[in-house]
Amino acid sequence: MKALILSLMIALAADIPLEDPAEEARAQALMREVRCVACENEPVSQSAAPIAEDMRARIREMILEGSSDQEVRDWFESRYGEFVLFRPKGQGLSGFLLWGGPFLLLLAGLLIGWRTVRNRPAAVRAEIESEEV
Amino acid sequence: MIEAGHFAAFLALAASLAQAIFGLRGLRRWSGMAAVTGFGFMAFSFLTLVHAFAVSDFSLALAANHSHTLKPMLYKIAGTWGNHEGSMALWALVTLGFGAAAAALMNTGRSTFEAHALGVQGLLSAGALCYLLFASSPYLRLDPAPFQGASLNPLLQDPALSLHPPMLYLGYVGYSFVFALAAAGMIEGRIDSVWAKEARRWSLAAFVPLTLGIALGSYWAYYELGWGGWWFWDPVENASLMPWLIGAALLHSVIVTEKRESFAAWTALLAVIAFLFSIMGAFLVRSGVLTSVHAFAVDPKRGTILLIGLVAYGALALGLFAWRGPQLKGSKPWQLVSREGALMANNIVLFVAALTVLLGTLFPLMAEATGRTMSVGEPYFRQTFVPILALLLILLPIAQAWAWGKADLKQWTRWAIAGGALVAVFAALGVGIWKISLGAAFGLALGVWLIGGAFWELKRRAITLQRIFRMPPRVWGMTLAHAGIGLFIIGAVVETTTRYESTVALSEGASGKVAGWTLTLDDVGSIEGPNWYADKAILTAVKGSTKAVLEPMKRYYPAARMPTTETAIYKTGTGDLYAALGEQRFVDGQTKWVFRVYFNPLIDFVYFGVILIGLGGLLSLVRVKR
Repeated sequence: MKALILSLMIALAADIPLEDPAEEARAQALMREVRCVACENEPVSQSAAPIAEDMRARIREMILEGSSDQEVRDWFESRYGEFVLFRPKGQGLSGFLLWGGPFLLLLAGLLIGWRTVRNRPAAVRAEIESEEV
Repeated sequence: MIEAGHFAAFLALAASLAQAIFGLRGLRRWSGMAAVTGFGFMAFSFLTLVHAFAVSDFSLALAANHSHTLKPMLYKIAGTWGNHEGSMALWALVTLGFGAAAAALMNTGRSTFEAHALGVQGLLSAGALCYLLFASSPYLRLDPAPFQGASLNPLLQDPALSLHPPMLYLGYVGYSFVFALAAAGMIEGRIDSVWAKEARRWSLAAFVPLTLGIALGSYWAYYELGWGGWWFWDPVENASLMPWLIGAALLHSVIVTEKRESFAAWTALLAVIAFLFSIMGAFLVRSGVLTSVHAFAVDPKRGTILLIGLVAYGALALGLFAWRGPQLKGSKPWQLVSREGALMANNIVLFVAALTVLLGTLFPLMAEATGRTMSVGEPYFRQTFVPILALLLILLPIAQAWAWGKADLKQWTRWAIAGGALVAVFAALGVGIWKISLGAAFGLALGVWLIGGAFWELKRRAITLQRIFRMPPRVWGMTLAHAGIGLFIIGAVVETTTRYESTVALSEGASGKVAGWTLTLDDVGSIEGPNWYADKAILTAVKGSTKAVLEPMKRYYPAARMPTTETAIYKTGTGDLYAALGEQRFVDGQTKWVFRVYFNPLIDFVYFGVILIGLGGLLSLVRVKR
């Protein structure tokens, strides 16, 4: 137990990666999703600010404790607010507009395009010829 | 000198107004002469600014605020446009430059149309000059002149960054003339093949530098910011990506207008939107409405003026559409499965992709209006922008072979088998051997699909292998650009899914293991440059029989009181071993240096891919006389 606490302290102090590569990869993915609260517009993975370092350490610590990705996100959100998540939430009307908007626009665009072509009279369509170059 | 330059800028404004009046009255020669004269005045005016920076004349307020005598000459000169006022002077210079170039190069045989285009360009030049002279003047003097300048932001003191703004502006502002061509075509009520030939050339002339400018900015961010990444979905990056996407859509749509006289109104509309997005980029960067690491010289008042300009230009263009749009000629009919149909799909997807970037960039701003603070970043764009664009790229190799008017689908089974086999092979290799995710394996298959498809199409058009090298440059341009996208995707997928990042703390003489490399810190010493001093670490990296020496630095610029990281990169052939020097720490009575170490596999593919896209655009500009 003492060894664990000691190793944890060293890890926290010096930004040292977790031993299990899979866990470290998860931690790094989360670090790219969590926004540094003291910086302009950077995830904690990119920031040299001391608070970002603490936030990175907290992510590693939570993963070591067995938290899921979503639990880590929730913890940061409850602590710093929605602002801290680079992955905006999908709930509610705004979430629907934000996440669904691009796909709805794509559908609408394709529908408009398809209808423009369809609206031509059949006689015109029958006469279309194929041309190379 | 500066006063002469200031006066010359007013003369350039007068010349631009003359260009506008002559042009809109249909006087092609007079308007062209005014355009060239105006450019001459503005070039002189800009050179007086560059001169003041080069000789460190700190009686010029701009030089005093952004230059320093100890800076190397390159950065003294680049400092001219490394700030808001100077960059707006560059913007005006390039706008007038495009007017002058157009006056010299336009060759449609329609003098009234060309006069109108020059006239509209004159209006845009006058707008840029008014903004420069009355809202952000770079010509202000200081009395008494300070003894020393405040220096340029050290982050910008970099070779790539001295070239990045001029390149980007050539792109942004290049679309001003495409806008002018669209407006002139609408005034005439004729958007046809001749119009499209001219518009295509100028769209390419804007697209190529925009592409290279974005690549330069990205490469700078990669090695200068020390984060190991090459694209951050930062609002300012997004501001340059949006006009690029619209520009790419325009390049494809204008071909349909050139070859078939279809899509006329849509092509003209895209030409207008490309320029509006460019101005919006400037607005987003300069107004401070968005938080960004890049936003410098932020001023809400200037932002408001830019916004007014944006709305005015937009209203002008849309008014023209409302007036002339219905009169545009009908086109040759076509079926859904045809090259027209394929290029329409291309345009819809690229346009929606640009809107997606816009939505993600502006959404936090809109949310803020309702009292909510939120962030939209990489995970969002990865799950919306990427799949939407992937949809287009999957179809690209198949649909580019379709004929105009009506294409047959007889070969679809062969395409399906080829594509299915490719995905199966990569899925098996990826999951079984390379241990990457299924999505990443699919991405790699897509990259190979695009490269193979590009050359397959070249071969199809050439019919025999011998004729491949006699294909026109624009066919080669298309091939290289499409292959470039494939290369880019392979690089982007491999880099983002398998990059390795780690932090090690080493004391002198100690070693650590990162990504299979053994890193030994041989020495940390102090060195001095012309206007900085630095801690420089010497790291020896060994892996198997390969040995590399990395010398990352942490520079400190006393004039700007700011540190920068100078990363060290060793190219292994398959990727970059990348090290950045961080903080100094005291652990157990020992001094340790923290290093961020990355291994970025195939990162060069990302840049080679983008360069190929630019090169393809350049080749497409070449005309061969037969």
